[in-house]
Amino acid sequence: MNRQSIDQLFAVAGRELTTVARTRAFLALAAGFGAIVGVLGWTGEAVGYVPLVLDLLTPVEVLVPALALAVGYRAILGDRERGELDVLRTYPVSRPTYVLGVYLGRASALVVAVAVPLVAVAALVPLFGGVGTTVIASHGAADSPVLYLRFVVLSAAFALVLAAAATAISAAATTTRTGLVLAVALGLALVIGLDAGIVAGLAGGVVPDEALGAALSLSPNSAFRGLVLSTVVGGVESSAPVSSAAGVVGLLAWLAGSLAIATLTVWSES
Amino acid sequence: MNPKPVLAVIAAVLLVSSGSFAVDAGGDRPDPVAFEDTITTGMTAAATVQAGERGVEIPRAQVFYSQYRYVVGYNGVTALVDELGREGHDRQFGVPLTAYVSDYATAEPTLDDRGLLGVPDSPSTYVGWVAAEEAYFVVGSEARTPAGETVVPFSERGAAESFVASYGGEIRRWSAVRSMSFGTGPATSAAFERDVTAHHEWADRRVADAAAALDRPVSVVVGDDAPTIAAALEAAPPNTTVFVPPGRYDANVTIDEPVTLRGAGNATHLRGGGEGSVVTVTADRGAVADLRLSGVGATHTPEDVTTDRTGEWDYRIQLGYGYGDAGVTLDSANGSMVRNVSIDTPANGVVARWSDNAVVDGVRVNGTEEWSEGFMGVMVMDSRLVVQNSTFVGGRDGVYTHLGDGTVVRNNRMVGEDGMRYGVHEMYTSDALVADNTVTGASTGVIVMTRPTANLVVGNVVRDSYSGINVGGRASYVARNTVVGNHYGLEAPSTTSMYEQNTVVGNDIGFRAASLIPTNRVAANDFADNRRSVSASLGPLRVWTVDGRGNYWANAPGDDADGDGVLDRSFRPTGPVDSRVGDVAGASTLAESPALKALRGLQGLVPGLRPTGVVDEAPLAQPVAPDRLAAARGSNQTGENR
Repeated sequence: MNRQSIDQLFAVAGRELTTVARTRAFLALAAGFGAIVGVLGWTGEAVGYVPLVLDLLTPVEVLVPALALAVGYRAILGDRERGELDVLRTYPVSRPTYVLGVYLGRASALVVAVAVPLVAVAALVPLFGGVGTTVIASHGAADSPVLYLRFVVLSAAFALVLAAAATAISAAATTTRTGLVLAVALGLALVIGLDAGIVAGLAGGVVPDEALGAALSLSPNSAFRGLVLSTVVGGVESSAPVSSAAGVVGLLAWLAGSLAIATLTVWSES
Repeated sequence: MNPKPVLAVIAAVLLVSSGSFAVDAGGDRPDPVAFEDTITTGMTAAATVQAGERGVEIPRAQVFYSQYRYVVGYNGVTALVDELGREGHDRQFGVPLTAYVSDYATAEPTLDDRGLLGVPDSPSTYVGWVAAEEAYFVVGSEARTPAGETVVPFSERGAAESFVASYGGEIRRWSAVRSMSFGTGPATSAAFERDVTAHHEWADRRVADAAAALDRPVSVVVGDDAPTIAAALEAAPPNTTVFVPPGRYDANVTIDEPVTLRGAGNATHLRGGGEGSVVTVTADRGAVADLRLSGVGATHTPEDVTTDRTGEWDYRIQLGYGYGDAGVTLDSANGSMVRNVSIDTPANGVVARWSDNAVVDGVRVNGTEEWSEGFMGVMVMDSRLVVQNSTFVGGRDGVYTHLGDGTVVRNNRMVGEDGMRYGVHEMYTSDALVADNTVTGASTGVIVMTRPTANLVVGNVVRDSYSGINVGGRASYVARNTVVGNHYGLEAPSTTSMYEQNTVVGNDIGFRAASLIPTNRVAANDFADNRRSVSASLGPLRVWTVDGRGNYWANAPGDDADGDGVLDRSFRPTGPVDSRVGDVAGASTLAESPALKALRGLQGLVPGLRPTGVVDEAPLAQPVAPDRLAAARGSNQTGENR
């Protein structure tokens, strides 16, 4: 990538950030996510970081895909519908540069929207915290803010992967309707479909027991959940849930694959 | 917008935060704390105090758990090992992050002639702490503690070897010791039931033995053969009966031989002079039967008593409780019998001090209306007694035991009329059986205080009292009781105890979980119609599920789709939604919400780090004792609307 492409990349990313920052719908969604996280942290009376992670795991798993798809599914689609894509193509911008720029812009906005509320809600732990007596010697157990930080990083990574998937949809879709359909379908697949498929595979004997770990890494949600359980909760609970390596590979594969699809479908190089 | 600073900041933050995966979250090993500052478990309060007084060493342990914020201290490494192996231990406490054990490497430990472990009292020797992974444990040696076999840890192999050379045993490391079993763990339900049966059989034998006194031939008839009861007792040879025909007699008498004093039931009325006890037995195998007694003195705690027991730790308690006036006083009268005696008293009904194997059977004690003005129905002082088939009306406590180890209190009726304090009150009493008693209108039906061990409280019924059954101490068994219409149904300050098959109906608060350390096993109980099923004030989240089966909660939402007898949804009787199901309209609708279901799944994990409360992960679909539950619910509805 030469100097010119890098400048173009940042130009595109900056344009996307400006767009996102001006989109009231995104701001409302991000505020909604923050509110849900805050309410859950408050009502759960989290007196520890690991319990807070367990309280937030399922909501994050459901809400981050929704947020990512909402933020991303119109990114390239919008340019295409408004004809800006045709204008862009008159410039010497390569497909990877454009796609990566769009992705960086949208993904960074998403990461901020996800990570900031998660970090903020952790402040409730010392607020609720304390074990309530000075008579008896107490200690932090295996609970630690470091573990919570891992959860935030994993959530951010999860958001980055899903932002890539949303970018792919926005590149592949040609109309708002197909974009919407694809986004809803992917959302359902992530939250329910892929895991249900693995369950069905197990039940039907298609997925052998030994391959369960690998099968789980195919679903970003399961890979994310597995990573959280093994790196955050694993030291506190007594048994380790899944191998971490497969999950990392699975998430990276989704990231690279999605960006590749977006690059290939954004416009035809001819 | 220039994206470079934004992207740079995000990338930098993520990169730095990723360092959290490289950091060992466990952190440094915490330093050992003073043993007094831990939550202590293993061995009774009395046993540890005794060990301390006699200079007996107990190799201790303290553990920092991954899921429990308090440091747990164990009296006995053996107690720790057994607790680590207990089913459900990991679930509630997590894994041990660090365990320290007593280090005898610098203590020059010795054994006395009974094998009890001791250390010389010199400044050059002391007992320290050593991490369990680094310690050398001597197992199978001659060393003992009051609790039995013990394991002696050393930080240096050399010290351990010289201990083995003197007292035998072999050296093992922590991983090997951890997998051993020393039999100090909590008993199973079947073992408790065997213990209950053994207590009943013991009591049956004591009753049969003592009842033999009622077959003694009549040697003296008062009025015919002797002018007064005192003269009759004087004249009667041992192992005979003094018969008192119907009538009123003014008498304060003492039985100082194995003689039976027998009337014709309520028609034979002995009236004391309003001072002291009416009948006092100072001989083994004395008997008092078929009488009505009144005119008992009103003194609860006489001021002029001194005994030769001044050196004993509980001397003040002995004087405070053991020497009050009574209808019948048994004083060093082993194997004596009090049967079918009716007593009106402003103080005690029966006092039994230092009278093992005595039996109180079929007695009726009418005490004071206000408990503060009266005293005990039966006062058990340092005796193993049987109290059965008796009725106690009013007064302070129905049965009070001080050091009444092994005592059996069964089939009695305590009628508090809202003026009684406790139906059965155990102090410093271990291994006692309180069975099939009925208590109404008391402050507390059955209460066990002072951290004893292995008490059995089964089959009792407590109604309309402030608190039903409140058992402290450890390794106790509370089963098959029915508590109806009380403020608190069951209260559990105990540890490592088992609560099962209790019927808890119509109380303001069904079960009050009050221990800091969550080691009680609470399963297979029936809860219905309580204003709040459970309250928890101390300690972490408790899991009330044993071997995949919890309790029956009449209002628990959810159903049993797979027919395994367990609801498919966990129940949180202390939770904001589940606690309202049944009495707040809409709470059951909210309880079925998918959002709530999704959240519940993970909320049962790491209970040790959760706020206090109770979760039942496998609520039962059907009651455990349906007949008892139905009867209790029926009587609760027809009873007063509290």
